[in-house]
Amino acid sequence: MSFLDTKPGVPLLESDDLVRHYDVNRGFGKPGATVKALDGVSFTLEAKKTLAVVGESGCGKSTLGRQLTLIEKPSAGALKINGHAVGNLSDKDAKIFRRTVQMIFQNPYGSLNPRKKVGQILAEPVLLNMDHLGRKEREERVRETMAKVGLRPEFFQRYPHMFSGGQRQRIAIARALILEPKVIVADEPVSALDVSVQAQVLNLMMDLQEEMNVAYVFISHDLSVVRHIADDVMVMYLGRVAEKGPTEEIFAKPLHPYTRALLASAPKIDPAHRVKAEPLTGELPSPINPPSGCAFHKRCPFATEECAKVRPELRNFEGREVACHRVEEIA
Amino acid sequence: MALLEVKNLTVEFGSEDKPFRAVDSVSYSVDRGEVLGIVGESGSGKSVSSLAVMGLIDFPGRVTADALTFDGQDLLGMPAKRRREITGKDIAMIFQDPMSALNPCFTVEAQIMEALKVHEGGTKKQRRERTLELLNQVGIPDPKSRMTAYPHQLSGGMSQRIVIAMAIACKPRLLIADEPTTALDVTIQAQIIDLLLKLQEDSDMGLLLITHDLALVSEAANRIQVMYAGQLFESGPADSIFAAPRHPYTQALLEALPERSEGHDRLRTIPGVVPGQYDRPTGCLLAPRCRYANESCISARPEVTDFNGRDVRCFYPLNDQGQPTGLTADLATGETV
Repeated sequence: MSFLDTKPGVPLLESDDLVRHYDVNRGFGKPGATVKALDGVSFTLEAKKTLAVVGESGCGKSTLGRQLTLIEKPSAGALKINGHAVGNLSDKDAKIFRRTVQMIFQNPYGSLNPRKKVGQILAEPVLLNMDHLGRKEREERVRETMAKVGLRPEFFQRYPHMFSGGQRQRIAIARALILEPKVIVADEPVSALDVSVQAQVLNLMMDLQEEMNVAYVFISHDLSVVRHIADDVMVMYLGRVAEKGPTEEIFAKPLHPYTRALLASAPKIDPAHRVKAEPLTGELPSPINPPSGCAFHKRCPFATEECAKVRPELRNFEGREVACHRVEEIA
Repeated sequence: MALLEVKNLTVEFGSEDKPFRAVDSVSYSVDRGEVLGIVGESGSGKSVSSLAVMGLIDFPGRVTADALTFDGQDLLGMPAKRRREITGKDIAMIFQDPMSALNPCFTVEAQIMEALKVHEGGTKKQRRERTLELLNQVGIPDPKSRMTAYPHQLSGGMSQRIVIAMAIACKPRLLIADEPTTALDVTIQAQIIDLLLKLQEDSDMGLLLITHDLALVSEAANRIQVMYAGQLFESGPADSIFAAPRHPYTQALLEALPERSEGHDRLRTIPGVVPGQYDRPTGCLLAPRCRYANESCISARPEVTDFNGRDVRCFYPLNDQGQPTGLTADLATGETV
């Protein structure tokens, strides 16, 4: 499929002001409301790069993942894969693009069908998307992919319950890889795993990226994992981007007050790694009724009257994009 | 005398002749005003040992110990009724998932007042006042209106605060927190840990903090115990145990952390997984995954010994350079035999 090939100068994945709103019913007699789960998110992703999306639960990380994998259609904004707009394709056309963006889910205990053998789980995407392959070729492809992620060939006939968490996540990774996607959206892929197993899975993901030139959108709340694996970081707050930039710069000098607070909240083993900042008070506000102006102003130690009234737009600052009125003063 | 004294606590499940030891001769003590952290991967027995202290292990589980005393009273020997008076009042527990720890059918007020009614008595008015006071203490905004809220109306962080309010309602002297922040965001985690430590300091409580998060425990605890497959592997003061680990397992865990590796390099992993019920090795439980293991580790199980003031369960504890002591030079290079 030539139009799926990467073109020089065109980003692999491009999101332009992506919006996803959900209409919710708040109960009998009450007016309906709109949840602005994703409210204008833009980024580009190149092949072989990793973009980490971080933020508290409810900030729209997973909603973004659902748009990128074409599981849901965005309410507004444009999503481009290799320069092709894919936001509002018909189901039939979307299917062609869907195989270029695959997903790894958070909980490997929930994402694998317990009634299917590993071989069947891995063969299903091939069966649905590559119908020109015969049974033999399909099986061969499954075995190849299993070898790639470090699953032994005899696992082909086993059921998911016979595996540990780390091995299940390998199966999930194999399932995402088997169609040779360009982009993998990994939604908290290691947060259900123990430290020692987490390291194995992260190493595997980095090796596969090296080998297959795949790009990752890595959704995570674990900042030390993000720092290790990502090239760029996008910090989200209430459906909008708070700060976006290269990983090392963001960790070395977080600009947005929210990024600072996030980094300061994460516990560190080495006291030298500690970021000094006031911990956040309060919780993420409701996306049904977000605060006026800057959504973060109620928890922000630097907030002024302007912050409560005017919503800050993303703008360039020191080679990064930050959505904060007072970034010049507090940097 | 320590507040909680646990000596050779063993918890077994399964048949009498071929039992599965979820917790294997674990000893520790918690003093007043002290924070003891227990870390380990899943399956290491950290939760089961704390459930045993609370008396929440039911048949067919079997709890045995050389000593299990709280404030000098033998918890295992006392009548069940007396023990129930202690647990929930003097020893309280916070569970991992706040959403499922609360009863969805009752209001916050009713659930906290129930604990007060059982242990403290008093009139309904007094209990209601105390509940309001507790909600204030754990930092619930607008506590008056939250009194009549149901759990589904609260966020995860808020629910955990309610659970904490319930636990400290009867002014416990020992608080067991089993993964209190695992289900929460980092920002909320920091708030909840700060709250727990403040409550602990204010009332000179003993706090037993169980978690799998090495960084969290190193910041919060005074002393740390590392558990693996039901056994205590290493224990020592928080400031030195992660700076100079003595047990190869502690060392390997630290090296597997992304924050301990430079740049985009591969992480050092521990091969394999924690042994389960049927595949426990005969020798040292870590032997199949340990990079220093030799024949003696595979054939015999090490006991906990004192090494430079640290309790370590290893034949070849590590020195300050992170190299095993007592091994011949060619083995000490870090290659697996």
